[in-house]
Amino acid sequence: MKNFFKVFAGIMFAGLVLCACSSQNTASSSSSDGSGASKDVQQSSDSISKDESGKVSEKNDSGSSGDKAAKDLSGTTLKVVATSDKYVKLFDEFKKQTGADVEFLSMSSGEVLSRAKAEGKPMADVWFGGGLDAFMAAKADGMLELYKSPNAGDIPDQYKDADGAWVAKGITVAGFLVNDSVLEEKGLAVPKTWKDLEDEKYKGEIIMSDPSISGTNYAVIKGLLDFYGEEKGWEYIEKLNSNIAFYGKRGKDPQEKTTAGEFGIGIIPVDESAFDAAEDNKLSVVYPEDALPWVPEGTAIFKGSDNLEAAKAFIDFMLTKEAQELIAELDGKDTAQIVKPGVKGLSLGLPKDKLIKQDLSTFGSSREKVLEKFKEIAKDKVEK
Amino acid sequence: MKHKKRYQIIDIIIMSILATGIVIFIMVPFFNILAEAFYYENKFDLRYIKSLFDNKTLLFNSLRLGILTTALTLTAGICVSVYIFICSERLQKFWLMILGITMISPPFVTALSYINLFGRRGLISYRLLHLSVQPYGLTGIVLMQALSDFSLCSLLLYGVLKSIPGYMIDSAKSLGAKTNDIICDIILPNMLPGIKASALLTFLRSISDFGTPAIIGGKYNVLALESYLAVIAQGNLPRAAAVNLLLILPAAAVFVPYHKNLKNLGITSHGIETSNSKIVGKGIVYNCIKAIALFFLLWISMQYISIIFSAFTRMKKGSLVITLENIEETLPYINQTTLRSIIYSVIAASCGSIMGLLIGYYMQIRKIKFFFWIDLAATLPYVIPGTFFGLGYLLAFRQPPLMITGTAAIVVLNVIFKQLPFSTKIGNAAMEGINIEAVNAVRDLGGGRHNEILDVILPLSRRQLGLSFINAFTSTMTTIGSIIFLIHPGHKVLTLVMFDVIQSGKYNIGSVLALWIIIICIVINGSYMFITSHSS
Repeated sequence: MKNFFKVFAGIMFAGLVLCACSSQNTASSSSSDGSGASKDVQQSSDSISKDESGKVSEKNDSGSSGDKAAKDLSGTTLKVVATSDKYVKLFDEFKKQTGADVEFLSMSSGEVLSRAKAEGKPMADVWFGGGLDAFMAAKADGMLELYKSPNAGDIPDQYKDADGAWVAKGITVAGFLVNDSVLEEKGLAVPKTWKDLEDEKYKGEIIMSDPSISGTNYAVIKGLLDFYGEEKGWEYIEKLNSNIAFYGKRGKDPQEKTTAGEFGIGIIPVDESAFDAAEDNKLSVVYPEDALPWVPEGTAIFKGSDNLEAAKAFIDFMLTKEAQELIAELDGKDTAQIVKPGVKGLSLGLPKDKLIKQDLSTFGSSREKVLEKFKEIAKDKVEK
Repeated sequence: MKHKKRYQIIDIIIMSILATGIVIFIMVPFFNILAEAFYYENKFDLRYIKSLFDNKTLLFNSLRLGILTTALTLTAGICVSVYIFICSERLQKFWLMILGITMISPPFVTALSYINLFGRRGLISYRLLHLSVQPYGLTGIVLMQALSDFSLCSLLLYGVLKSIPGYMIDSAKSLGAKTNDIICDIILPNMLPGIKASALLTFLRSISDFGTPAIIGGKYNVLALESYLAVIAQGNLPRAAAVNLLLILPAAAVFVPYHKNLKNLGITSHGIETSNSKIVGKGIVYNCIKAIALFFLLWISMQYISIIFSAFTRMKKGSLVITLENIEETLPYINQTTLRSIIYSVIAASCGSIMGLLIGYYMQIRKIKFFFWIDLAATLPYVIPGTFFGLGYLLAFRQPPLMITGTAAIVVLNVIFKQLPFSTKIGNAAMEGINIEAVNAVRDLGGGRHNEILDVILPLSRRQLGLSFINAFTSTMTTIGSIIFLIHPGHKVLTLVMFDVIQSGKYNIGSVLALWIIIICIVINGSYMFITSHSS
């Protein structure tokens, strides 16, 4: 028995030391996060980005006529975090062209941010899709690799970061999903505009997701503020808020719960799947006639990626015309939702001229302020 | 002598591994995440802790939810277990099977099928009863939590009932006691320790569940959900940690006085014969119990049938059609993931059940005082919410010496230690059932420690090992909270895939996956039981 205690005491001591070390490490690494460590990273990334952009400009000069071709990456694995699991076909196509396996996990943008911060290392090689605000925040935190794909040359400037931290794969547009039978039962007309939604008669019939959780619904709030102007915008949001029973805790809540007949009107990202769901469940999809809020869906490479070469190859691949068409098909995008010129998507009837003229530069920076104010307005929607 | 020395060393090594394992994989993550709550922008700061007390609503909401769910689950559990205990043998087998199946409850599914059944357009509420109800809020969460917890609770209580010495019931009957009296005077009082233990388990499960409130909570928010959202929506780990910390207060408040009752859960019959003569099923008390029990049993059956139903149907152009499309569409999701989930779960279940037994052995048979603390530490993962435990792993193992974030190891270790509390409870109960004289006899005959374990302990606790394996396997196959923040691309498990598809609105595919998880659990648990019961 004594033996055991001797040995065990030894191990415990070692364990304690280990514990202390690890917590010290946390403390020291966290305290230096702001200064030393991140500076190092910053520097190295700077140098990468410099010679990358150097290369890029060369390539752009020589190969501007067509998209860059894929190279052989057989035997390597590319890890991707995506917004949903619908991109399997796209990843298969990438594998066909390059030989690289793709492993993916779907995750919300917020989770990507907090986990990457907590783990102190990238979640994956590529971050595929998600609201632009998260990408802007990640860039500010130095989490993104700067890479300007030669295939991004023709993407309009507003859809790509000037330093190459992110590039959009398309845009999400918000509209309404309407459960006609629910509205009929109450003798309510199908709303055509955002303005309609502030009418008291829709009280309790509208559902949207909490904008701090759903990128689309953040885009709705931000877009309507840009559309109406700050002051009038908040007035509108207050009226809209009084018609909403509660804010969904999941991005898909509005679509799911409107489909299930729990609500008459859901504020949703409009794509082909919404139209399909509408057809199967006898619902209708409405592009609001007065204004269409929208948000670019970002893609980026994580700094410190294990397979940088494949990650870059993927971004190049993703921006080719063929891949863009495939993405448009998988996402069910209208042509107006595609950012690459010359790529055709579906014809869902999106009125392009109604897209709100948004100030994208403040999309990330004003997020906290906007959500703070929104929280104040929506606080009565949380049970006391 | 030489042999003896060698076994002594092995003995010490085993003890050390157990103890260090628990320190490193339970205590270290726990203190890491605890510390996180005291930071703001990487500096020591009490702002998150202070901000918690500005808004006590969430704490009260969690408490109210926990208490109501526990009350309802126990009512159901007590009635169902007593009813099954008394009813005819054939019915008994049938209902036990139903409980065994419904005990496997993949996350989120009951909550979603609840909307389909009882929502504003629900099959029962709207089409059958023509009601237009809003299923959201506290009531919805309580009902769904109770429904997904009562099967396990009933099975545990049924185990307690089986251990009531038969002579007590027999002598009461021979003295002319009616069924009413037997239930009130013998059965219920004898169940009390088991009831307390189940209450504790249910309460802890209820307050740390974030999935059910997320789907059907509506306006009703609770701490567990708030902390989950702090991570996924705000990216605010310190706040998540602080919110969880608040959740630990009520958990610890019920855990400290009641944890001793937990050992009743792995109860053995101590060789005492259970009653041979049946209790007659009559009397007002019995009939009330029966009515309540049948209500819950039918309800849970219905919810599971609705899962099967939605796995094979789909809405097409306004009408419901039976189809295999859902299954076809599920196939690409499950090929690699299935095998991976099974492997993780088998590792967790094997390691867990053996560790649980060994901890019980060192504590109960060898009476090593130190293991009292080890046992207590091993119970910690029950008190702390799954997400909190997972975030602790994230923080503890992101730097050397043990840098395992992003690997499969961190996921497997997490699930092993997450379900260890139950295994150690069963291990302890198993050891209490072992006659210490049998162990001493081995020693008197010149046997070493290894003979003790291999010849007495293991054969006598086969049943408990099985119980613990099945429980650990099932809970690992259905767990989500503790691993959701640890999984990287390439380590996806079935529950996570299910979570994904449900999040993206593919409820029918979610149902197929739920069904698939249930089938895997039934097959693995069934074959495990078959092998162990036939190997003797």
